[in-house]
Amino acid sequence: MKNQFTIHHFFLVLLSLLLYTSSFAQKVKQNKVRLKVQYVKIVDGEIYFDIKATAKIKKKNVRVSDINLTIYNKLNDEKIKIGKTTTNKNGESKFILKNLNLIQPDSTNTYSILISFKGNNTLKKASKSIRFKNANIIAKLVTKDSINYIIAKLIDESTNTPISGVSLGVRLQRLFKPLIIGKEFNNTDKNGTIIVPIEKGLPGVDGNLIFEVVLNESEEFGTIIAMVEAPIGTPIVDESSFDERTMWSPRNKTPLFLLIFPNLLIFGIWGLIIYLITNLFKISKSKI
Amino acid sequence: MKNYDILLNDLAPQKFGKKGVIWTISLIVLIILGIIAYIDQIIKGQVVTNMNDYALWGVYISNFVFFVATSFVSTITVAVLRLTNNSWRTPIVRIAEIISVAAIIMAGLTITIDMGRPDRLLNLFIYGRMQSPITWDVIIIPTYVVVSLLLLYFPLLPDFGLLNKYYKEKQPKLSKWYEKLSLNWTGSDAQKTIQLKSIHIIAILIIPVGFMLQTIDAWLFSTLFRVGWDSTNLGAYFISGASVAGVGALVCAVYVLQKVYKLENYITDFHFDKLGKFLVLTCLIYLYFNLNEYLIPQLTSKKEATTHINVLMTGEFAPLFWFVIIGGLIIPIIVLLFKKGRKPLPMFLIGLLVVIGSWWKRYLIVTPTLLHPFLPIQGVPEEWRHYFPSIHEWLITIATLAMALLIITLLVRYLPIIPIQRTADEQEELKINKSTKS
Repeated sequence: MKNQFTIHHFFLVLLSLLLYTSSFAQKVKQNKVRLKVQYVKIVDGEIYFDIKATAKIKKKNVRVSDINLTIYNKLNDEKIKIGKTTTNKNGESKFILKNLNLIQPDSTNTYSILISFKGNNTLKKASKSIRFKNANIIAKLVTKDSINYIIAKLIDESTNTPISGVSLGVRLQRLFKPLIIGKEFNNTDKNGTIIVPIEKGLPGVDGNLIFEVVLNESEEFGTIIAMVEAPIGTPIVDESSFDERTMWSPRNKTPLFLLIFPNLLIFGIWGLIIYLITNLFKISKSKI
Repeated sequence: MKNYDILLNDLAPQKFGKKGVIWTISLIVLIILGIIAYIDQIIKGQVVTNMNDYALWGVYISNFVFFVATSFVSTITVAVLRLTNNSWRTPIVRIAEIISVAAIIMAGLTITIDMGRPDRLLNLFIYGRMQSPITWDVIIIPTYVVVSLLLLYFPLLPDFGLLNKYYKEKQPKLSKWYEKLSLNWTGSDAQKTIQLKSIHIIAILIIPVGFMLQTIDAWLFSTLFRVGWDSTNLGAYFISGASVAGVGALVCAVYVLQKVYKLENYITDFHFDKLGKFLVLTCLIYLYFNLNEYLIPQLTSKKEATTHINVLMTGEFAPLFWFVIIGGLIIPIIVLLFKKGRKPLPMFLIGLLVVIGSWWKRYLIVTPTLLHPFLPIQGVPEEWRHYFPSIHEWLITIATLAMALLIITLLVRYLPIIPIQRTADEQEELKINKSTKS
């Protein structure tokens, strides 16, 4: 009887040890996730949160893909769920907010957003909060004494007051990377305004240029981008012969000589081949 | 009176001996292994190969180019020697025709193996554009297959007629096959006239078709702006290279068949001597084109061309490059310039060296260029900078080579490898000439 009791206890201890070590092993495998969130507002365009998830695994920073994130609007002590998103293979996600009216600011007109990850078998739970105020950039093109300028005004939307002493950048959209126009940083004056002259001769397709006035990663207002379309560029004359490159162009652009000569050759050769095959029949029939 | 009995006894197709059976089974085993690897490639995709974003053409394409080159043998030997009235060609032409048929069939198959989605092959015909060299290739390969088959078949008609009679009592079943294949050949004047006229037309036709095939193969490369390919020299370079590969393969096959079927009375040292001179001529022409291909870019020293040639001459591909140039061209030229070098055994060894050199030459044409794109290779795994075929690629490639050899083996088994009727005619002409002189 005593023996049975000892065996029973021995197995219980063994089982608990096993359960403990397995749960410990699971815990050891869990890595910490780091979330980076950026609020971006395109004036008269979309508003979104740029989210990046990384983790340090085996002393290497790894991008975390396919994790589900929940986005909340924090209001006082309340958390209002506004949506869900999943990171892509680069560990990135773009959560588009259809309208800023879908979230509510606190008493100081500051919006508070929480991005939360529940955690899974290999990754610990994580969250990241950001706070921002709603600002706006009003940008336009003006011409004075035949010099073109970009004039932009930064306004706090909640109070409708200009924001001074903040650095804005003006850049021109290009194929690979934007081209910085004027100084890299242009501080807004007491009216919240910057004026940046535009040099002449900037090339654009059909003379159209798209300028961007950017408030970049501001702690208070996030990133705000205003676009100004301006037909003031030097039209690009497309000297590319791409469409005329017969080797790569579609069927309907086959040059006439490439239709005539190869087809003549093909029909000529196959004509002879058919003649030779008929000769085989002739041989078969002319025994004598 | 033609001595058909002796000729038929010597030249009629013979059953395989023990060695022949072992040889055939070995080829079948290699083919089965290749088919298994290919099925795996179809299931898993070309991820089983070592091809990547840079080396997007690998051993399959170089093997395809080798087959295309080897198929040129019938153009260079049968047609050219016939039109230039070189009567010594008689005992070797059929072997050349057989090699040509086997090689061009395998070229067509090999290019399909390189396709990630072979089920979309038909799209090449449906959506092909006449300005694409790929379309030209798709047209010229079947054309060359048909012309090569006709070149093989027309001269065989009288021989099929003879074999029909020869096997009538010995092997009636086989005889029936030969009867069907002979197309009721009786040797009538009408039949002979049509046959000779047809052979003459094919002999002329196969020259432009063969040249087109090799040139299109070259243009597949030279129409791309890539270092090592973007050359006006490439068409002629491919034609001369194909002559080397073709004649090299022919020398090897002629030697093996002479020994296996004991044809020393028909394929003599004289024929090897002639073939040797022919091979040395093709090697010299090809060496000249190689000089053009490598020396001029080196002298003009365009940066990318210099990088490419340095990789070939002193870099990663140097051992292979020098093996191909020295082993595949210079040594054969030196050896074959001497009469002793043109004896059967040395010729066979040189032929082997030339064929191996020719195969690796195609690998050198395809691979190093792909590893030198215009934009530097950056931010990619280290293995992408290099290419060497995977096990799957080797198994499939070896299987295609085995398949070509199997086609040759089977054709040799059932066709007379030396034209019987033509040999009889020549022997009679010789007798008449002798009696007229005496």
